[in-house]
Amino acid sequence: MSLTSSAAHLARRAAQRERVRILYRRALKDTLNWAVHRHLFYGDAANLRERFEQHRHVEDLDTIDRMIEDGEATYNKWRHPDPYIVPWAPGGSKFTRNPTPPEGIEIVYNFGREDND
Amino acid sequence: MALRAAILRHVRLPLQTAPKLHHNQPHPCLASFRFMSSHDDHITKEQVTDRVLAVIRDYPKVDPSKVTPNVHFEKDLGLDSLDTVEIVMALEEEFKLEIPDKEAVRIDSCNLAIEYISNHPMAS
Repeated sequence: MSLTSSAAHLARRAAQRERVRILYRRALKDTLNWAVHRHLFYGDAANLRERFEQHRHVEDLDTIDRMIEDGEATYNKWRHPDPYIVPWAPGGSKFTRNPTPPEGIEIVYNFGREDND
Repeated sequence: MALRAAILRHVRLPLQTAPKLHHNQPHPCLASFRFMSSHDDHITKEQVTDRVLAVIRDYPKVDPSKVTPNVHFEKDLGLDSLDTVEIVMALEEEFKLEIPDKEAVRIDSCNLAIEYISNHPMAS
């Protein structure tokens, strides 16, 4: 196996790094969803970080790919059924609740006065 | 049913813009000050900068004296990519934002974060 990192090799590593980051982000949010209280969350987040740090120095691309897939499978297995989503984001409670009214529509404040009064 | 749908697909109503009644003359007593609306108020860039720097300074792995608005998380502060992910999550919680995954991964430095948050319409 050649030790010089070709462009394809580097591109694959970069793609893997991004996948790992996205996986860590989602796993962290999930951890917060499951452990609602912050003092529990800090402990669980430290454990999660520990699990990611254990495999930090793996160099073989295929092993890394397999580990990322295993990680994503574990994440899918442990997803929270009712995650906290910010209200205005898709899936949140305020999403598309009160859309802005279209332009040119106005409320005329005549308090029900008839035209022929 | 299918005929109706086929006809409606091809018939177009002419668009009529409603006449702009009061846009030039503000109503004296009914000028809309919507104090409780979360759509109109936007935070200033200064406030964003202050709060972002406060969040980064409170992160345990960061040396507070090195934090400036131009700092790069990995190069200047010596953090890891996983640490960057944690900082972005802390910023999301601070400003009550929901950043999509693809964009969150791209936030690498302090001024990117400040720019993104101040351009986000729902940052509060």
